[in-house]
Amino acid sequence: MPQRPFVLVLFALPATLIFLLFFVGPFAYFAVMSFWSVSAYRLTPGFDLENYIDVFTEYAYPLGFTFAIALAIATVTTTLAFAFAYLARFRAGRWGPILLFVTLITMFGGYLVKIYAWRTILGSTGILNAGLLGLGLIDEPLPWLLYNPGAVVVTLVHFLLPFAVLPIYGSLRGIGDAQLAAARDLGAGPSRSLVDIVLPQCELGIVVAFMLTFFIAAGDYITPRLVGGPSTAMIGNFVESQFITALNAPQSSALAVAILAVCAGTIFVLRTGMRKALAVR
Amino acid sequence: MTGRVSRIAWILFGTGTVLFMLLPMVLLVLFSFGGNELASFPLRGLTFDWYTALFAKSDFRVALENSTYLSVAVGATSVPVGMLAAFAFAGLKRRRAGPAIAAMAAPLMMPPLVLALALFSAYSALDISLGLSTVLPGQVVFIQPFVILVIYARMADFDRTLLDSARDLGASPFRAFVTVTLPIISPTVIGAALIAMALSLDEFIITYYTIGGGLTLPTLVWGLLRRSLDPSVNALATLILIGTVGATILAIRATRYRG
Repeated sequence: MPQRPFVLVLFALPATLIFLLFFVGPFAYFAVMSFWSVSAYRLTPGFDLENYIDVFTEYAYPLGFTFAIALAIATVTTTLAFAFAYLARFRAGRWGPILLFVTLITMFGGYLVKIYAWRTILGSTGILNAGLLGLGLIDEPLPWLLYNPGAVVVTLVHFLLPFAVLPIYGSLRGIGDAQLAAARDLGAGPSRSLVDIVLPQCELGIVVAFMLTFFIAAGDYITPRLVGGPSTAMIGNFVESQFITALNAPQSSALAVAILAVCAGTIFVLRTGMRKALAVR
Repeated sequence: MTGRVSRIAWILFGTGTVLFMLLPMVLLVLFSFGGNELASFPLRGLTFDWYTALFAKSDFRVALENSTYLSVAVGATSVPVGMLAAFAFAGLKRRRAGPAIAAMAAPLMMPPLVLALALFSAYSALDISLGLSTVLPGQVVFIQPFVILVIYARMADFDRTLLDSARDLGASPFRAFVTVTLPIISPTVIGAALIAMALSLDEFIITYYTIGGGLTLPTLVWGLLRRSLDPSVNALATLILIGTVGATILAIRATRYRG
């Protein structure tokens, strides 16, 4: 392993160059564009706050909706993921590794593929409707299973669950069995040791899981489009349509910056809140 | 009594969650072999028709070629680059390495759409014409953090005394690297390469905006989805699943990942 500073810099150089050229540069350019304007389909550099004013007026509703649905998705996913990781680490015994394996293999398996799968499950000719019809619980297919906010939540929870389980499981692995045994010997029940021992030590894992799921949900535009229908347009849909259809890249950029600001704000509040809530009393 | 109730509750919860994770994918694979036009039960016999229909599309062959090229190129770029960076970060103090790695992982914190539009804007401002060569760096910039994280994690608990002994016995730094470091970390490197290739194979949003009309397997899925019902989507989705899940399983085996 390199020790000399010169060698360290040399080793980090290629990755850093790629990072600067293809991330920092384009992103800075795109963000600066949010202050520009468009006239006669041409970008006009300048310093204009118009686009941001529009974000908080014209796009206030989709922005609020995106925040609410991303919060719901991140909360459901993180809670499920915590329970699942807790099960895999402390309760499942020899089944634990199998639960972890299932999580891992579903992690990288197809973003579009998963959305498509839910579309075929929830559609009016889909499996769920066919099953309910077959059982005689309904007389005709329920068309509302698809194209509503609930379908977006289910699809994204399914897609994001593995991404939330892994960081939480990672931090649960650091908790020694001895600590839990000691707590039990001293008379703490399972819920007491959960609150006083397990949760404080996996705070970071929970925050990372929540952050990942919130960010991905808040920035998504494909799931709402494919399973959400017209009533669930999220900010990502406007980022895309302003850029592609309206050819208004500056407005698109201001909306994108707004998503990032919402994400950063949410994480800040969450971290502060979690620290306070999980402090050992 | 309560012990038994909670045991049963955990079993139900575990089974339910595993089914929730796996069932949508299992259904997809099932329907890719089913005789039904629509993805619905009961299945009307087994058929390879959707695969035959898929392989007959000239779009599919182009997409397969492009996806293969990209995933190999992304693996071949992001692994050496990410490995070098991981070595550099492993040489830093942990307190300093943390923020450095977090910074490199910033592209993961960004909605892919934002990264895609930023790259698209930059390319068009610089008059760079779009194609596979513009997709490649866009994929590498968000895949290299995974490689760095995986290899750094291995390097962090690497027994340095082995390296010191090699050096004491007269090995040059390069020789020590080839004979000591590389054999120890090579499973991790292979795992990282497979993860990088799986991520590339599955990447849609950045690819879609920076390929300029070309096709990869995910952009083909997108095209088929928008053109209403074509059961060969199931076959195509199954092939992507086999590629990504297969690579992940091999990666887990190679790295002996345990969480």
